[in-house]
Amino acid sequence: MAELQAFAPGIYPRSEALVQATRDLDRGRTTPEAVDEQIERDLAELISAEQAAGLDLVADGMLRWQDHFRPLLEAAEGLETGALTRFRDTNTFFRAPKATGEPRLSQPLDERYVAPLPGPRLVTLPSPYALAHGTGISPREIAEGVLKPALDGLAAELVVLAEPFLGSDGLDDLAAALEVLGGGPKLALWLEFGDAKSALQNGAAELPVDGLGIDFYATHVDDVPQGFDKLLLAGVIDARSSVPEEPREIAAFVERLEVEQVALVPNGDLQYVSQQVAQEKLARLGKAKTATTEAAA
Amino acid sequence: MTFLTHEIGSLAKPPWLVKTSQGRELDPSDIEHARSWGEKVGVEGHEELVELLERGGADPDEVARWSSRYCVRLQESAGLDVIWDGEQLRSEMYAWAIAHANGFEPRGTVRSFDNKYYSKSAATGPVGLREPYHNEEFSFLQSVAKARLKIPITGAYTLAVWSYDEHHTPKEGRLGAGYGRKQEIEARRELTLDIARNLIRPNLEALIELGADWIQIDEPGASTEADELDLFVESFNVSVEGLDCFFSTHLCFSDYDLFFPAIEGMSGCRQYCVGFANYDSRELGTSGADRPGYEVISKFRDLSYEPILGLGVLDIHTDFVESPELVRDRILYAVEVFGDPARIHVCPDCGLRTRSWDVAYEKLRALVEGCRLAEEALTRATV
Repeated sequence: MAELQAFAPGIYPRSEALVQATRDLDRGRTTPEAVDEQIERDLAELISAEQAAGLDLVADGMLRWQDHFRPLLEAAEGLETGALTRFRDTNTFFRAPKATGEPRLSQPLDERYVAPLPGPRLVTLPSPYALAHGTGISPREIAEGVLKPALDGLAAELVVLAEPFLGSDGLDDLAAALEVLGGGPKLALWLEFGDAKSALQNGAAELPVDGLGIDFYATHVDDVPQGFDKLLLAGVIDARSSVPEEPREIAAFVERLEVEQVALVPNGDLQYVSQQVAQEKLARLGKAKTATTEAAA
Repeated sequence: MTFLTHEIGSLAKPPWLVKTSQGRELDPSDIEHARSWGEKVGVEGHEELVELLERGGADPDEVARWSSRYCVRLQESAGLDVIWDGEQLRSEMYAWAIAHANGFEPRGTVRSFDNKYYSKSAATGPVGLREPYHNEEFSFLQSVAKARLKIPITGAYTLAVWSYDEHHTPKEGRLGAGYGRKQEIEARRELTLDIARNLIRPNLEALIELGADWIQIDEPGASTEADELDLFVESFNVSVEGLDCFFSTHLCFSDYDLFFPAIEGMSGCRQYCVGFANYDSRELGTSGADRPGYEVISKFRDLSYEPILGLGVLDIHTDFVESPELVRDRILYAVEVFGDPARIHVCPDCGLRTRSWDVAYEKLRALVEGCRLAEEALTRATV
């Protein structure tokens, strides 16, 4: 049986209490300190949920990140926030990165954006291709100027680079950028939400990263190339669906994967469902790992 | 020659409505808000509301009707030609529709952006209408408004694409099966047309029966999937086909190029009100280079059925108040592109509910003043 892990990269949804606190903050009805306290409570609750689910790497849920780019844009020279842009078929928006000059991270991400965690952890950052998307700057320049300096200060078992935009082209540019990011923590490229078939056919499995994430709600299992030798981040929790997954179905699916190392993950950020739904999905992610292990025993 | 001006959708709910709805105590500043805005925009009998708020324990529905009156007068006072009440009698554009429909269940709160959120539901069964859900509002506004009314209704495609679908999408069997876009789109089509036929159309018929002559079908979600634009068009046509009314649609925060050529088949839409200012420069100027946010408007001009363009000239995501001169230049550029001022209406990019009333009011006044400046410039040019 494949070596099996489970974890949940990406932005995690806010609790109803944090939703209310941030709404109150915007309306002048509470203080930033009170919101900070609620974020800490949300974080503690998330860590407990991840530990209870038996996840192998803990993630901080990026609870202070407004979107996948904002803290980096605010900490970088040569980049700023652009137009509010819809993310795929969701009603969730992000501020698209906009270039104003040569990109340079002027200060590392602090504990507000990479929270201290107990035990082995993962960190999620945008992939260089995603951060460069639409700016006119090459992914390699973004990697050199912004992401490499951000990575240099990180202590993590795994850094997951979230990539929602990559199509059948762009792989060469992405590969050049990923080369720059090597030499530090292990890296995984997480192809969020979408059929990875064309990317795989064009060589995504050969990219210079330790792991590759694939959305198996859109990608056929047979599209994973023979001899795949990286950690496969198998997107088996559908973060755009409110339906809770069936752990036994996931276990049966994992049996069909002909790879050596598998990590069960969502197929994208869980922020696209509510916290109540995400909690259930997180629990089922852990149950799926257990069910897979039991099925193989 | 004058440009018709109109609102797009929502306005912020005032603190005295928010707190009353939540059963919270009002501050003196809330009462003052009601008093000062009542005087500022000329709400008849606003002293009655002030007394009501001072006494405490007011009925939230009654306070919401007052808020509706305030927003009507706010827009009339700003000088808009066609108005609505900015969603004061609705919870929100998605939640209100879903709350009055059969076949949906709530699934919690999801972030829209930053600290803005929305309640998201799942389609769990066949869609049905409990009762026409804008009739009471429209009848009330007919009794209040002095200006012409336009009533917005959230469109079928947006309701579908903003919902989870637990009814048409298979619950099992998708994992690793290459469940492709074709199947996703077919599931979305079933849900969207179900909503168009059984939720939107009956509402439109009821509003027309009450006397509505301009209905804006809001579709802010229309372009979220480039390969579903034909479905958006089909759902619009199914919703309005054969009905006698001026139908418009509102599109915002999208890559508008995506709508072409799909909307060539949407000839029942007589006006597109579209947000452009969000993408535009704040510098003055009337050339194409000066107005990058408006580059796409020639495509709306070239539609064979010659719809009117509702030109978004106010960025609703910022407190920056556009100068009348900036509004003027955006209009003049659009007139230059269209070659026919009669095909241009002027409006904000979208609803102004994320702005304070102070900012929204100043923006709307600038919009109206910008129209006057544009009219003067065009008049001078023809003399």
